[in-house]
Order: sequence, then C-alpha cells, then structure tokens
Amino acid sequence: MTKLLEWVFGVSVIGAAWALVTFDLLNLRLPEAYKEVAWPMPVYLLVVFGCYSLATVGYRVATFNDCEEASKELQDQIKEAKEDLRIKGLKM
Amino acid sequence: MATGEDQAVGMGLVGFSLLLFTYYTIWVIILPFVDSDHVVHQYFLQREYSVILPGIAALILLLSVGTFIGVVTWKNRKPKKVD
Repeated sequence: MTKLLEWVFGVSVIGAAWALVTFDLLNLRLPEAYKEVAWPMPVYLLVVFGCYSLATVGYRVATFNDCEEASKELQDQIKEAKEDLRIKGLKM
Repeated sequence: MATGEDQAVGMGLVGFSLLLFTYYTIWVIILPFVDSDHVVHQYFLQREYSVILPGIAALILLLSVGTFIGVVTWKNRKPKKVD
C-alpha cells in the first residue's frame, strides 16, 4: 500500500465520519450541539494548521541566532566570485 | 541572538496566532455548549461567519499570490527569447 493510498484512505475515513455527523446520514439524532461543532470542522482544522504554521515561523524568526563565521565566509566568497567574473570580462 | 526587530516581529506573529487560535476555538468548539442567553455570545458573530470569513481570507490570499506571480511574470517577459 503506497503512502498516497494510505493518506487517501485515512482522509476518506475521517471525511466519512464528518459527513455522517454533519448531514445526519444515519439518522442518529445526535444532540444539536454536536452537529453545530462538527460542520465547520474542515475549515477549523485548516485555520488551526495556519495558526500553528504562523506561530512556528514567528518563533523561529525570533530565536534565530546570528552566524558570524558563516556571514564572513559568505562575504569572502562573494568578493572572490566578483573578482573572478571581473577577470573573465563580465562588467558588473 | 536575533536582533531586536526580528524578535519583536517573531513574537508578534506568535502572539497574533495565539489570539486567533483562542478566539476561533471558542467560537467553533466552545460556544455551541454555552446557553444561548449567556453574555459571551454577544462577542461572536453568527456561526455561518466562522466558515465564510476564513473562506474569504483564503480567496484574498490566493488572489494576492496569483496577482503577484502574474505581475512578476509580465515584467520579465522578453520578446523573442525566453530564459
């Protein structure tokens, strides 16, 4: 069973469960509150995933450490490359 | 350490996403179990908007990304050769 099939299967099962509750396909007569919670679920999960992504990006931006050595190395490499291209005739 | 501005922006993003998560979770998951005459309901719109508003936001995001790509592609078109 490929990964794609696994994911499709998992999503279908969850989607079927959601549709069952939202559209009352089996006439289970659940309390109204459960139906009210269930029907925005796909959008809710998307929004939560978006919030999590935003928070992760923000946190890693805030805690990123300066890399002095890498910065210096990069500057040297840029100078080297410019010099090399200048010799080969590229006008910067 | 990240510079002051980076920290401010990063922590701002974290705070904003926490606020959004809390408000939206209360709206979608908590409110249906609260009596309809409780005072907290006045701070939230009708339930339909909890799906419509993110839908509109997603639409705006897609349009912005598409417009940006379109503008950049248009600016970089060359008459005969395409790099």
